[in-house]
Amino acid sequence: MKEKNSTTTASTLGRILATCSKQAKDYGSCVASKVHEIEKDLCLKEFLALKSCMQHTRHLSALINMPSSSQTSVGSGALSHAYIQHPSLRCNVPDSRGLFYDDANRLLICATSTQVFSWETAPFNPDVSPSVDSIPEGPILSVRLSLDKKVIAVQRSDSEIQFFHRETKKTLTHKCRPGSESILGFFWSDSPLCDLAVVKTSGMDLFACDSAMNLRLVETKKVNVNWYIYTHESRLVLLASGLQCKTITGFQLSTAGVVRLPKFEMTLATTESNSKPIISAGDVHLITVYGRIYCLQVDREAMLFHTYRFYRDAVVQQGSLPIYSSKLSVSVVDNLLLVHQIDAKVVIIYDLFVDSRAPVSAPLPLLWRGYQGSDPSFQATNKENESSESSTSNENIVMYEDAWTFLVPDLILDQTNKVLWRVHLDLEAISASSSDRTSLLEFLQRRKLEANKAKQLCLGIARALILERRPATQVTQAIDVLVTAYSYSVKAGIYKELKNEKSTATPPTDGASPDNERRRASGSSIDDEEEEVEMNVPSGSADEQQESQLSSPAISPDELYKFVFASVEETMIEESDYLVAIITEFLRSISAEKLKVDLNIYVMTVRLLSRSKRFAELSLFITNKIIEPSKEVALQLLESGGQSLRVRKLGLDMLRQLSLHHEYISSLVQDGYYLEALRYAQKRKVTSVRSSLFLEAAFASNDMQHLAAILRVLSELIPGFKETSEYYTFHGLLNETSSSVAV
Amino acid sequence: MSSSGDESLRLCVFDLRRGQTEGQELDKILFFHPPELDPSSQLSVTGLSEGLITFTRLFSPEAACEVIEAENHSHVFLEAEPDIWMVMVVEKNKETGAVWRVDALRGMLREVHSLFVMFHGSVRALLEKESAVGFTRSLLYPFIKDYLSNLFVGKQLQLPNFRETTLSERGTVRMITLSRDTALEVQSLVQVLDSCAGNLRCHSMILFQDLLVSTTLSPDDTVNLFTFAVMRLTSQALSSDASSWSYRRKGTGSNSAAIGSIESLHSGNSDNMRHDHVIRPLQNGKWRKGKDGFLVTDIWGLETGGSPDSAIPTIWLQQSQERVYLLAYQYKSLTLLLLLPTTAIVNGDISVSAVKQQVIEQASLRIMKIEEKISRGWGGENAYHVKGYRYLVVDNDLEVSRASPSGKVATLAKESLLALNKLREEVDLEKSRGKRQERDLEICIRAKNNAWVIARVTRGKELYMALEKASDTLLDATDAVGRFSNRYCSEAFLMD
Repeated sequence: MKEKNSTTTASTLGRILATCSKQAKDYGSCVASKVHEIEKDLCLKEFLALKSCMQHTRHLSALINMPSSSQTSVGSGALSHAYIQHPSLRCNVPDSRGLFYDDANRLLICATSTQVFSWETAPFNPDVSPSVDSIPEGPILSVRLSLDKKVIAVQRSDSEIQFFHRETKKTLTHKCRPGSESILGFFWSDSPLCDLAVVKTSGMDLFACDSAMNLRLVETKKVNVNWYIYTHESRLVLLASGLQCKTITGFQLSTAGVVRLPKFEMTLATTESNSKPIISAGDVHLITVYGRIYCLQVDREAMLFHTYRFYRDAVVQQGSLPIYSSKLSVSVVDNLLLVHQIDAKVVIIYDLFVDSRAPVSAPLPLLWRGYQGSDPSFQATNKENESSESSTSNENIVMYEDAWTFLVPDLILDQTNKVLWRVHLDLEAISASSSDRTSLLEFLQRRKLEANKAKQLCLGIARALILERRPATQVTQAIDVLVTAYSYSVKAGIYKELKNEKSTATPPTDGASPDNERRRASGSSIDDEEEEVEMNVPSGSADEQQESQLSSPAISPDELYKFVFASVEETMIEESDYLVAIITEFLRSISAEKLKVDLNIYVMTVRLLSRSKRFAELSLFITNKIIEPSKEVALQLLESGGQSLRVRKLGLDMLRQLSLHHEYISSLVQDGYYLEALRYAQKRKVTSVRSSLFLEAAFASNDMQHLAAILRVLSELIPGFKETSEYYTFHGLLNETSSSVAV
Repeated sequence: MSSSGDESLRLCVFDLRRGQTEGQELDKILFFHPPELDPSSQLSVTGLSEGLITFTRLFSPEAACEVIEAENHSHVFLEAEPDIWMVMVVEKNKETGAVWRVDALRGMLREVHSLFVMFHGSVRALLEKESAVGFTRSLLYPFIKDYLSNLFVGKQLQLPNFRETTLSERGTVRMITLSRDTALEVQSLVQVLDSCAGNLRCHSMILFQDLLVSTTLSPDDTVNLFTFAVMRLTSQALSSDASSWSYRRKGTGSNSAAIGSIESLHSGNSDNMRHDHVIRPLQNGKWRKGKDGFLVTDIWGLETGGSPDSAIPTIWLQQSQERVYLLAYQYKSLTLLLLLPTTAIVNGDISVSAVKQQVIEQASLRIMKIEEKISRGWGGENAYHVKGYRYLVVDNDLEVSRASPSGKVATLAKESLLALNKLREEVDLEKSRGKRQERDLEICIRAKNNAWVIARVTRGKELYMALEKASDTLLDATDAVGRFSNRYCSEAFLMD
């Protein structure tokens, strides 16, 4: 099957290239002209043109040659960094009036004329069954459940919101003054001041709502509002006003209270043809990554995506990202920003943690993946089941079609097929396409969602760096990244298994003030957890936790030793010098972070150094305590000392310094220094060494004077020695020889 | 003997395989000091020596005679290479302090020979390469002269006597003690230096002042290079510009007299000078620090003339049996010696200037950091002084020694030093007897001035000590040694 695929791929590629010759030429000449100054994304425009042409052709070829089109993926080719995975959550209800998303409760809501179906989307489980509530008939503009999920609020028109209590069945209607103002939307809040915020063209009303569902107006924020956006994860509402809708007033309704953000203007480039461009709500996105809140704003004239970062008392523009499509949307997966360039049908991934605004990886399409990916037979059967059971067959999925809605943070709703997808990242693919290993490791160490996979990838990269014999400086950098990341996560308390570690954190998403920015950066999972506590709803990444049980991809020094150094030792047997260099840097890095490491690494270092006969350095390592003394190291020194007496002596000295008397004495005797050994035993009152050791050694050396002396010392040292058979044997031997000498 | 020159020292090198026919005897002499001594007197020294060697070989073919003690002179013998003998004749005089320890004198002979081999290769190899003896002589004469020039005090050549040799050990390296994290930094730097020549691993050695910080060479090579570096390359050697090689001789005056005598020697032996340019590696005052931090010298020629690489010093490593370029880099008190295999450079795999560039780019920052770290952690000249003790610890396996600072040793009474000197002679004798097996030895002696002098030998480690303020009993003295051993020698010397 594989072979067949590859041949068809080749022929397909040929056909595609023939069709897209112009675009290919453009791209090629762009690269060629800039070959001296080439850097990533320099010819991105040309590349995208070529890509879209190829995609187009491929769709044609797929039509002509159906069997060749892969059943497991839709998109172009199998290369991608982000994907949506089968199965999706189906929300196809007959007579649906519309699909809504309640981001506070992470509920997908489908309303019919008299019923509301709601599916939990976090944790994302395609098989979850909806809960159903009946509501009176009427038009529905939006639906949001209160944070305790007891009240269903339905916006009926631009002047009316209805509330239904799920238990008491009580109904309440809230209306605004018709004519003078209209309701733009509403959301529930968990701030101590209010429970509900209603955004109107004249401003924002904040209401408190008691258990009997009585609304009480608490405060009104008067602003002219053209449109607004709100995300529950940031607790931030942005109200747009002005002719171009570029004046933004922001409020954060957090558990700490209602904070008014300084008013700011968005940046808009003007051209002759369009001197007054207008920003629409769809052009602005609020995202939360690493516990920081950003606002992204499309500037179509400049073809830029401006980023703003919110601090408690300031809004700071943070630079811009280029865009390659007039239609854009964003998702956030595992603190990464995914910018969907919808016209070009590609995703560009950014990591806002780093200062550079360069994308993490090249633009690639979003992939549609079959069930569990790789097993073709399984996919086939699965596909059959699917087409028989539902009307949505795989071929109907069209990537980035108009009816796609991108939900906060990482969901995609396909309105046509009435299915909900979750966006995943393919860390393997990202790491495979990245050439800068150091920044790749940093990137992977920041991943939380698939911590285990990130960890395995990191270990693999570290191993590969060593096995490929990369320059020591490169490997050192990589090791430094891993060690500092570990040290940091230990200090931050993330490295321990989580679960029972509930929020020690400050109020969530508090616009992350600059000073605690670093802490939040890698502790952003805290936010999710805190939400969990407060809202009593399972949210966040519970499924991933079950999957990996790991909260952090940090790698402890012991694991580094075990999975990197120990595992490459066998294959690097000819490269001991290199390996020692790497280990030294590793030890330096560890010592700089004041961490401890499995002492086996010292044993290994001794082995490597003596294997390459670098005895001078070995003794420096020992005397300077680079290799920390331990029994295991001492024994390895004794073993390696077979090649060099000096090394053996280092081992003996270490045994003595560690007060391992028994081992020290045994080794001395083994080397033939039985008198010294006995002297030491006498001095230290060590009786655990077999007395026969000394006697046999003396007897073997054929020195009867020594034998006699040893017998005497042993009789003093060991009580009752004179009664042992040993004493008899050797005493007898002594008498025999002396008498024979006498004779 | 001749009245010319000073009579305190005769030093000669001769080859027993040469000049065997009558009338050709002068042919065997490769070096003689003083050079101006008439040939017949020279021959009388070598003749006596040769006779003694031949005679003693009858009884002990492997180890012929080591020393002859005459009434006024000691003759110290060293068979530096098979049939290449070095003999030193020194005058004895208790009153003037001319009291010698034979092993210390033999250590000097061994040292000058080792250094010669390091720069020029073995004497035998030279003799075999050039059948005419002239070339070997033209190398040996200036070399040993340059070596001896360090021993001039004023116009007088003075061998290091018991005051200097009793609590020191020639042929060992003095090491600095580093904290673990500094040691790791140093090791990391060593690896950077190692890889400065690309895939070719090169050796390196680092010194802080005149203490060894790190080495990747074998102990023997380390000792030789260390000795040379302390003589000529370290910051102290450069700054004093005069001899400061024996750090017990700090502040001795300039030795222009010595230089002068070498110049005269050159003209005197001009018949031997077949080669236009004789390299004199030990020549004093010829090294200076260049702008890029590397030390430069014109001893090996001018860098501008001919192939630039030929002007770079080369040395011979015993362990790997290869010739290497010696690059020295200096930053403040830190001296780094980098050794590049000459073959690699001749083959064009690397160029010296590229390696220098690499060192500057890759290592200079680390070097600065390490210099700062070591200076901060170093206790200064008296760092290794232990109150109440005057000591010397020698580790023969690692060829490392540590001793009380010379300033502190100088406070000992002459009697104590003489007693300890005598004791060391005894131990030397004892050691040479039991060469096959390392043995334990423990001697405590009460000197005339009531000081205790103590020697302790155990499995390759030696401890010598003078205790002037110890109390009366032997038990107290041994206790003091025990405490010292436990504290500073990791309990190496177990006391009964």
